[in-house]
Amino acid sequence: METSDRIRIGGLKILEGGACVVSSSPLGANCLSADICAPLAQKKINLTFFTHLSGDRQVMCTADEVGETAFTLVKSRAAPGTELRLQRGTAVISVYPHDKGPEIMGTFIRSLARARVVLHGLASSPSAISVVLSARREKAVVEQLFEHFHFPAFASPQEFFEAQLPPEELVQQVVATYQEKVIKVYWILPQPDLDLWGATISSTAILEGFAHALIDMGKLGLKIPFIVANPGLGGRDFLLSFSTLKAASQGDQGPEVRRILQWHLPEIRPMRLTPVAGIFFHGPHFGDRYGVVYTFLQSLARVRVSLLALSCTVSSVSAVLKQQELEAAVQVLQKTFAAPSPGAPRPFGRPGGGAGGPRP
Amino acid sequence: MSAKYVLIVDDDPDLVETVSMILESKGYEVGKAYDGIEGGEAIKKRRPDALVLDVMMPRKNGYQLCKELKADQATRGIPVVLLTAVGEAVPTTTYSHAEGMAVEAEDFIPKPVDAATLVEAVERLL
Repeated sequence: METSDRIRIGGLKILEGGACVVSSSPLGANCLSADICAPLAQKKINLTFFTHLSGDRQVMCTADEVGETAFTLVKSRAAPGTELRLQRGTAVISVYPHDKGPEIMGTFIRSLARARVVLHGLASSPSAISVVLSARREKAVVEQLFEHFHFPAFASPQEFFEAQLPPEELVQQVVATYQEKVIKVYWILPQPDLDLWGATISSTAILEGFAHALIDMGKLGLKIPFIVANPGLGGRDFLLSFSTLKAASQGDQGPEVRRILQWHLPEIRPMRLTPVAGIFFHGPHFGDRYGVVYTFLQSLARVRVSLLALSCTVSSVSAVLKQQELEAAVQVLQKTFAAPSPGAPRPFGRPGGGAGGPRP
Repeated sequence: MSAKYVLIVDDDPDLVETVSMILESKGYEVGKAYDGIEGGEAIKKRRPDALVLDVMMPRKNGYQLCKELKADQATRGIPVVLLTAVGEAVPTTTYSHAEGMAVEAEDFIPKPVDAATLVEAVERLL
């Protein structure tokens, strides 16, 4: 493909040498209690990727060498009836920035389809979209990504791979060991007035129909600040969840989103929850540090806020919750973490700098 | 009058997103790059009015890029704000303010970034 036909995008990161614990709890089990992360935090195990969808499934990724320990610890705290699976030899591949653009997310997922991957998890951060897959498919994925995206820092997949540092050098570079008594964060960014869409969907449908649906949603000018897909234990059916944010000038685009989903995915029954709110939470080296999401979940539990969906990837925590719980959630997070005073960055997709979120 | 152009260079894409939101909300035009090499290329293509530069980055770190810019007559006038993860929270880092001063950066802001401090620093330099 010519450079001009490809989408110009900032960057690509691969986190190799991972393990992935997939858990599926019986509906209604309180599987996202902070308890589940407590033993991992106590053992100083970092979660490189973590997703949760309300009442059911989670995907947790760690370094491969601690994968079995993480699996045992998660199992020890899991609700009765929970099924668990450990997948070793995984990688997390992220591209950025997506600018909340569904067409970039759709093109990313379409590249995964062409590389014939088996998805172990999919999630977004405020800037990146990430996938968990077997490290064996990593080369094929990167080749496909270069077919669809133009990365200004690298002319070819070969150049990209040659520029990657050996893992031990990377570890030497991340020498900063954060030891604050109170965890510092860059921002706690509230985002009210989202729609949350959810569906059970096959992995094939995510890779084909959903990718095309996203590309069509991009043509509507919709922004997608949040997306998560968690597999079932057989790896076939996924729980998919994404939130949409309309531009300030647009009316309710829910019917149009539903029409696009049904056009590309006639077999699914999408559910819409509206309005919901998002919290985007970001701090230094959050991707490399243990205990951050545990502290986050623990603080929300104190004010009885339960999350509808959660994704932790790259260096951010993104959560979706009921709109009426947003203020309590932001207040407790402001008290728990050392955060700059709120107000500077505007919530996503609010042209003109209007502050849409609460100002606790 | 056209908006001042600020280039942000950091390997943390979520931080680049956050900092660009802050600066765009203050009326700046913002460019983004994700490592020192890409940052250097972006500067060649379009000279920024100010540069917000992370220190710890793969391929080429912020000190190296800053040193190169200050050694080149064509780019030494670009004001540089270094984002440094040094201080009480990171006692084991090998990066230091002394090294930053040696490469002649105009300002230093410790991470995590405080929006008001960052905007103040950029405004002071423009």
